[in-house]
Amino acid sequence: MQFDFPFIVSAMKEMVKTIPLTLMMAVLPIVFGFLVALGNIIVRIFRIKGLVACSRFYVSFFRSTPAILHIMLIYLGIPPVADQVSSFFHLGWSANEIPVSMFVIMALSLTAGAYLTEIIRSGILAMDTGQVEAAYSIGLTHSQTFRRVILPQALMVSIPNFTNLGIGFLHTTSIAAIVAVPEITGTATIVASDNYAFLEAFIGAAIIYWVLTLILESVNGVLERKAARFQGGTL
Amino acid sequence: MENAFDMNMIGDFVPTLTAYLPVTLYILTLSLLFGFVLGLFLALPRIYNIPIVNQLAKVYISFFRGTPIMVQLFIVFYGIPALTGLIGIDTSKMDPFYAAVATYALSNAAAAAEIIRAGVGSVDKGQTEAAYSIGLSGSQAFRRIVLPQALVQAFPNMGNMVISSLKDTSLAFSIGVMDMSGRGQTLITSSNHSLEVYIALSIVYYAVAVLFEWFFRVAEKRIKKNQTRIVTVFDMNIH
Repeated sequence: MQFDFPFIVSAMKEMVKTIPLTLMMAVLPIVFGFLVALGNIIVRIFRIKGLVACSRFYVSFFRSTPAILHIMLIYLGIPPVADQVSSFFHLGWSANEIPVSMFVIMALSLTAGAYLTEIIRSGILAMDTGQVEAAYSIGLTHSQTFRRVILPQALMVSIPNFTNLGIGFLHTTSIAAIVAVPEITGTATIVASDNYAFLEAFIGAAIIYWVLTLILESVNGVLERKAARFQGGTL
Repeated sequence: MENAFDMNMIGDFVPTLTAYLPVTLYILTLSLLFGFVLGLFLALPRIYNIPIVNQLAKVYISFFRGTPIMVQLFIVFYGIPALTGLIGIDTSKMDPFYAAVATYALSNAAAAAEIIRAGVGSVDKGQTEAAYSIGLSGSQAFRRIVLPQALVQAFPNMGNMVISSLKDTSLAFSIGVMDMSGRGQTLITSSNHSLEVYIALSIVYYAVAVLFEWFFRVAEKRIKKNQTRIVTVFDMNIH
């Protein structure tokens, strides 16, 4: 069995080109998921009737099932529905034109939303309720309290959790290789398909992911130190 | 492309898939057991700062937590035949089941090591000092005083690790393992109803995960019977 060292480098050169797509598939879901999570949190804090149960089920389902299933459910489930809508409103486009990575981002946004709901929730749980009472006592509205008091403190405390989620989603993008998205792992499979040097290609992929993860971890350190500046004691 | 969506097929697929659930659980159990033991061996050098082993453990943990599980699966799957080929044993026809268990064990070990380390770190140092003061040796103090408390603190994280590992096992089909997801793939090719199969798979995974979560919640309550409850923003009446 010949171990092809130079191939690791040439494989990595091909894979590095797909890092932007990979990062996009990791970051966009977290951004969209954040909005979804905010919606969930607002529903839970203000206990909006009927939606609380939906929120609980949504978070429970998307945290308990594997991400590959989320991707498959969206990838297989949305196009027929979208085609129906398109023909009903005579919009003229078909779901075939949507690239697979869009579906991956859609699915992962829902996944991220569930995890982010729990992360923000735990950040809020760590907060002192006296802050909220004080906010109402000086006349802030619900929306102002949420925006100016609850959310900033919850987010600051949750920075390590956010980075962990970011790293987790970077790794989750590798699942997109199963639906033939040309990201890092997918490219590794393609690149190794002529000379069957799969081991070398995947070692190269591992190195790339590892380096990206280490970069994200150091970013986490920087962010934590910056946030700690604002966390003085009392007066 | 496909036949029309058929709700009844989901009901037919669930029992077929559940028949392979034991394989998935077997992979999960084996990888958790080996992973926990290996994780303990990785955590100890880190906790006690043993010179070279500490750095090796650090690199190991960093690698297995810094790379996706799917890439790890492929590396182990292609790597085992490569390694054993060097000493002349041909394992290229090996059942991918073993590669999957090995990968998940190695990966879980890294996660377990971090959880154990955090758990040990959360035990009050006074406990160790008190143990030494009554004459216990280093390893006795660790085994009898620190580790039990550390494991109690780490229990919720362990529960999360188990469920996370369950979700990771859903990827084993990509190296050819015939577990629940693998059976799902064969169902898709034979029935041509992929969405129904994935919905059925989701139902089974969700049910199993909910059972696990319920178990860990109950177990955690019994282990932590005497802790006081904290009032949070979610308990306030905001209207």
